[in-house]
Amino acid sequence: MKLKATFHTAALAALVLALAAFVLLAGCGNAGGGKQGGGGGGPTITVGSKNFTEQFVLGELYAQTLEANGFTVERQLNLGSEQLADEALQSGEIDFYPEYTGTALVALLGYEGENPPSPEETYEEARSRYAKRDPADTMLQYADFNNNYGIFVRREIAQQYGLQTLDDLAEAAPELTFATFSEFQDREDGFPNMVENYPGIDEFEDIVTANDLGLRYQGVEQGEADVGVGFLTDGQLTSEELVILEDEKSIWPFYYPAPVVRNDVLEENPEVEEILNSVTETLNVDAIRELNGRVDTGGEDPEDAARDYLEQQGLI
Amino acid sequence: MNEFFAVFGRDDFLNQLLVHVELSVAALLIGVVVALPLALATFRSPLWAAVAINTGNIGRAVPSLAILALVFPLLGFGFAPSLVALTLLAIPPILINASTGLRQVNPQVIDAARGMGLSGGQILSSIQLPIAAPVIFAGIRTSAVQVVASATLATFVGGGGLGDLIVLGLQRNDPAVLIAGSLAVAALAIITEVGFGALERAFTPKGLLVARKRAHTPSK
Repeated sequence: MKLKATFHTAALAALVLALAAFVLLAGCGNAGGGKQGGGGGGPTITVGSKNFTEQFVLGELYAQTLEANGFTVERQLNLGSEQLADEALQSGEIDFYPEYTGTALVALLGYEGENPPSPEETYEEARSRYAKRDPADTMLQYADFNNNYGIFVRREIAQQYGLQTLDDLAEAAPELTFATFSEFQDREDGFPNMVENYPGIDEFEDIVTANDLGLRYQGVEQGEADVGVGFLTDGQLTSEELVILEDEKSIWPFYYPAPVVRNDVLEENPEVEEILNSVTETLNVDAIRELNGRVDTGGEDPEDAARDYLEQQGLI
Repeated sequence: MNEFFAVFGRDDFLNQLLVHVELSVAALLIGVVVALPLALATFRSPLWAAVAINTGNIGRAVPSLAILALVFPLLGFGFAPSLVALTLLAIPPILINASTGLRQVNPQVIDAARGMGLSGGQILSSIQLPIAAPVIFAGIRTSAVQVVASATLATFVGGGGLGDLIVLGLQRNDPAVLIAGSLAVAALAIITEVGFGALERAFTPKGLLVARKRAHTPSK
């Protein structure tokens, strides 16, 4: 009896000790955050992103690369809109998130008037506006791809009607069916903008409002519609069956993504800039389409697709 | 508030409402035309009734969005794929209620009818169907409300309807449009529920009403 009781006491003591050690360790990990660089339990950075595939992927790419460089990373990769993400950034709930230059200008930085005429000028305008805020932010180097509306046609239709640009499309429209979505038809800068700049493009034989992006691609590929609207970085655009029509008048703002970091985070951890840029520099439209496609149509987790990519690039 | 009411004045609102109602009515009608004869054909045999009901239930277990994706390669964009998905949704409640209602008719009543010399057809039309009518109508009502609420899915395959408004509100982050669209669907569903409730009462045989009343009045 006595022996048994002693055993119980010993077991209990061991458990208590183990718990105490665990709590202490965890405490140390937190206390170390924000002070030291390098090593496993390095400074803590909170990465944010909005809640769609490409943002999840970008968030993971940056998060995993920071982790590989010794940072402790927390993830808030599910912010519902740019307004929410921006609030989280300014209030310190997240330390940075990837934002698109055009979106930042119009939706967050109060820019009005004509769109800047080039990706570079759009970026410079956004960067300088970010820098003047309180608390100030830095828009780091942007990735070389434009997440803009993309008008695509089936290759066979492009060949049949000789379609390369939206101007060509405006001419052939009366014989084609256009698969679109509610928001695009409704936004001033969407369909109305397209019609204003490419007169005749509203004379499609039929316009179908199909609010599922995947079905729009499927529909155009199998001939249920001839022309569709999606986004230039969609994974489906890797398909050989589809051709993207050129917007030679460049009627849409430029939406190039770049991490937006609060300045105080950069001051405390200057190496973050270089680490994030090292990821950004590798990205281009083909890379992001493939990553988006692996998640959207291949059913992979953004986390796994991102890890795979970073390993290929030798970043982690 | 004005933004909210302005939504109902949009050019496309009436058309969306109309398409929504058309889709729902068509799906429900086809659902009734398929499910009722199926119930009549199978309710006498426990085995076939079980087969029919369970097949219907499998249809109900598959999400309507998945059905849309499945029929899309065959039917393409528009009204047709939406109608198929909604009809598959409409059938099970009608089938299950009709089958159960018919099977629950008291066998003694049927024996009595047979004793009075009624034929099988006469028993069905003047005994079993009237007695099962309230249950059958309850099934149609459930089905109708479900279909009206689910017809919003048509927006994903270009079938139109009030789902267009709801998705637009979501995509544009515009609460006025989103709420107006949702409320319009809710109002349609409530009207359907109340309307079919009235029909259900109208089709309940007087005898059953009297019997129910008696059952609910405590005897002295």
